[in-house]
Formats: sequence, structure tokens, C-alpha cells
Amino acid sequence: MTRKKLSLTPYLFLAPALLVIATFVLYPIGAVFYYSFTKYNISTPPVWVGLDNYKALLTDKIFWLALQHSFTYLLVTPILIVLCTILAIVVNRKLPGINAFRAVYYIPVISGSIAVGISWRLMLDTNGLLNGLLLSLGVIQSPIQWLAEPSMTLPIAMLLTIWMGLGYYMMIFLAGLQNIPEELYDAAAIDGCNPIQKHWHVSVPGLRPQYVVVGVVSSLAALQVFNEIYILTGGLGGILNSGVTVVFYLWRKAFRLQEAGMASAIAIVLLLITLIFSIVNIRLMERGTEAD
Amino acid sequence: MELAQSTPNRMSPLRSLSWRKTRETIFWYFVLILIALFTVFPFVWVFFTSFKGPADAIVSVPPQLIPKDPTFDNYIRVWNQLPIPAFFMNSVIVSLSTVVLNLLFCSLAAYPLGKMKFKGRDLIFYLLLATFVIPPQLTSIPSYVLAVNVFKYYDSILALIFPNLATVFNIFLLRQAFKTVPNDLIEAGKMDGASDLRVWWSILLPVIRPSLATAAIFTFVNQWNDFFWPSLMLHTRTHMTLQVGLVAMQGMMTSDARGMAAGVTMTIIPIIIFFVLLQRHFVRGLGGAVKG
Repeated sequence: MTRKKLSLTPYLFLAPALLVIATFVLYPIGAVFYYSFTKYNISTPPVWVGLDNYKALLTDKIFWLALQHSFTYLLVTPILIVLCTILAIVVNRKLPGINAFRAVYYIPVISGSIAVGISWRLMLDTNGLLNGLLLSLGVIQSPIQWLAEPSMTLPIAMLLTIWMGLGYYMMIFLAGLQNIPEELYDAAAIDGCNPIQKHWHVSVPGLRPQYVVVGVVSSLAALQVFNEIYILTGGLGGILNSGVTVVFYLWRKAFRLQEAGMASAIAIVLLLITLIFSIVNIRLMERGTEAD
Repeated sequence: MELAQSTPNRMSPLRSLSWRKTRETIFWYFVLILIALFTVFPFVWVFFTSFKGPADAIVSVPPQLIPKDPTFDNYIRVWNQLPIPAFFMNSVIVSLSTVVLNLLFCSLAAYPLGKMKFKGRDLIFYLLLATFVIPPQLTSIPSYVLAVNVFKYYDSILALIFPNLATVFNIFLLRQAFKTVPNDLIEAGKMDGASDLRVWWSILLPVIRPSLATAAIFTFVNQWNDFFWPSLMLHTRTHMTLQVGLVAMQGMMTSDARGMAAGVTMTIIPIIIFFVLLQRHFVRGLGGAVKG
């Protein structure tokens, strides 16, 4: 706001960053859109095929399965919201050493999904810790092949995502809780609320802005899940494609099967889903702020 | 405090109150420790497993945590089979150079977006905002083509640095920081005859240092843990980052749980140390990210 004279200065400041974003974000969107109408294996030039890729997707059973898996994966969002709200309420108290606990809960977040995924794989292995524990407790009689069981692939990956997200979303909710005035809790106590009712009537409504953010961030992350599936299934997508999500299928088509045109069509579908999601979320956000 | 000064005959309700408080405190510590066990247990188990010798079972009934025959052999074996120092060097070079260059580019771009009025500002702002919803995997197909055909940095760590030279998230974070700087500060600098570049470097950047620190830490951790794009680009062992190398190790040592545990431990410890040292900035960054 310093002056109004037309000068090149702002554009020069913006140029380097905009050049990078234009090359690696904006251009790729256009390119993917074009590739989605072509047969393309990356090594030879793309050949125009019109809507063939999209038509093929409509009848592609694995693609529909992948869509179903990706939507199922969205269940992590409500689970994370509930668990992390409770976790934030638990750590939002003044106790000696509370910061150390918060930090410990944050460790899975920064450790990276590869290291975490391999750790989990070691524990869930047929000869892993979990079977050892269950056997010694007498819960099971013979080891369960957790990672080879198709119906377990997606739930285990989701569990891993939830476990890695706990600390992250907890911190976001904690920041929200610390903005809620203490008087509201006092007023609730005077009105005869027990501790649980107090949180239900004060903390939960007070965290509305955080619910929107966490809802958006965690559901976009769920739609884009890849690393967990990759590690748990050794890059194969699980027996009978039991762990194949939209992004995993995109990756397999583009970089394993050299079908970049088809992968681009999947990418466009993913983009549309993401856009619809974002619009719904923004609407919710607007409604949320109006209500405030 | 008032209760503490009450008369002796009111001691018994006081004592029961303080006993209730103690009991409550013990309860919360119990809950906190239980959650802590849940969040770090896989790491603890992997850590101990990495020191297990051939005589120590990975899993037994009942499970054994502490090795009876501790050894560094697993670390030596992993170290001899894989270029671990190269993985580390590559990860450090990629993460550090991305942080420095990204903050440079993003803080340059954020200054006019936050503090100047110019034609097209809103257009650029909303264009950048819209890219938030673009799934990174969508851009990977054209970025791959660019890497192979145009920039020729396929299989080199340059491929990890270039696309991350500017990120929309950091531009927004820093723009938010610039907006909070009083205009008088800029005017005063201009009065002294400083150019915009000089104002940006000597006046604004020192003021927004906390936000720069936050952006730096998040960029560093993201780059350190990134897997999808690096796994597409890096194929020669000595060019790999830790995450890609870790997956290569997983492929090589499928039946060597002790070795894998050693590999995971080696990659996690540096990032945990980094986190513990800079913990405060993480918390502030998360709170800020939500408000911004």
C-alpha cells in the first residue's frame, strides 16, 4: 500500500517464485489435461485418442474398486476429528512435563511414513510382534497373516494414517482450545455441567474453525494416500488389488505400466473429486463463519 | 489459595480436596503415559530389535523386548550393504538447499503480495490459492516428462530441489507475516533512500524471522520425508535420499528384520533430534498455519 505508481518492482519480486509455480504446477495441469486424451508411454510422443481413456476407465473394474477404496479411506477424517479432539482436551492442562508428552505424541508425525510404515510392517509380520503378543495372551491359536489378508489391507493402512495423524491434528485442536476463553468453562460449571458436558457445550463449538481446517486437510490427504499403501503392500497394491486407491492406481498406470495417458485421465478424475470436495468444504467454512 | 489460609477446624474438607486433586493428577499422568506408550511403542520395539543378536528372537511367546545379546552387527551389516552415508548426504543437501532457496524465492514473492498495490495482485493471489487443491501426484506425470526431456535431471537430486524452489504454502505463510509489519517501518526505510530490495532484506526479513523459522522447519521436514517424487526420480543407489534408500533396503532385506530395524532407527534418530531441538517452532507454526 506504500504507493500507487505503476512500477516493475512487484513483478520482479514475484517473478522467480511464479516461474517455478508456473513450470511445476500450472503447466502440468494443462499438460495432464492434454495427455488424458492421448495414448502416451512417456518415451514416445503422445498420440491423440479422444475420449478413449475416459471410456476405458468407465468399464475398468480396478478403477471402480480404487474409487471405492479412496472413498472408504475418507473414514479416517471423522475418526481423526473425534480422537484428536479428545487428545487435545487431555493434553490441554497445566501439568509438569505436559510439553514433553505433547512432543512424544508428535514423534510419529515427523518420523516420515516410510520409516513408520516399515516399523509397522515388522510388527504385523507373520513372525511379528503382534502375533507374538496375541499368541502369548491366548487370543489366537495360530499366527494371523495380517499383511496377506486382502480384507485387512485397507483397514491396516487407515490405522497407520490415523496413528501418524494423531499428533498433528491434536496440535491444531490444542491451538484452538487455547483460544477459548476460560470464562465460558466457568459459566458452564455454574450452570451445573459435569466435565464431559462442559467440553461438549464449550470445547466442541469453540473448535469449529479447527474442524473445518482439519476436515479439509485430512480428507485431501486421505484422497491422496500413497506411501502407506506402497510400504504395506511392497509396492504391489495388495492381493486382489485390495489396497489400490485412486492415487496408487494412477502411479501404477503411469510409472509401472507406462500408460501415462490413462494415468492422466485418472488424474483428471481425481482433480474433479478434489475440486468438488473443496467447494463443499468452503461452503461449510462460510456457513461456519456466518454462524459465529 | 484462600482455602489454604482457612482455620484449622476446616482442615478436613481441605485435605479431601487436595487428595482429590492428587488423585486427579495421578489419573491424568496415567492416561498420558498410556497414550505415550501407544504413540512411541513401535519405535521403541524397532529400536531394541535393531540391537538384537542372532540368539535373540524377533518374536517369541511371550515377546521379548530387551536384547539379551546386544550387538551392533545389524548396523554394520546395513552399513556395508548400502551407501548409508550417501543417503544421509543426499537428504541433507536436498533438504537444506531447498529450505534456503525456497525461503528466498517465497519471501521475495510474499513482499509485494502482502505490502504493495499493483495491477493483477488479486488475480495472482487467487491463482496461487487455487493451486492448493491440486493433488501433487497429478503434476508428477508432466514433471516426470520435464525431468527426462527438458531439464535432464532425472536420477539426480537436482530433480528434488527444482520443483520445490517455491511453494504456495510458504508464500502465503510469509505474506501473512509481512502484512503484520507496520507500514511506517517501510516508509522510514524508503525515507532513508533504501531501495525495495534493501527494505526487504534489511528491514522486513529480520522482523519476520519467527515465520521464516517456521516455514524453514516445515519445508525441511517435508523434504526430508518426501517419498513419492524422489522414488520416481532416483534410481542409482548413491543418488538416493534416505527415504528412497530405506525402501531399497526393504526390498533387499525382506527376511532380515534386525537389519531393517537398524536401518529405520538410523533414519529416524536424526529427525527426532532435529524435532526436539526446534520443538517450540513446530507448535507455533501449526497454530499460525490455521489462523493464516
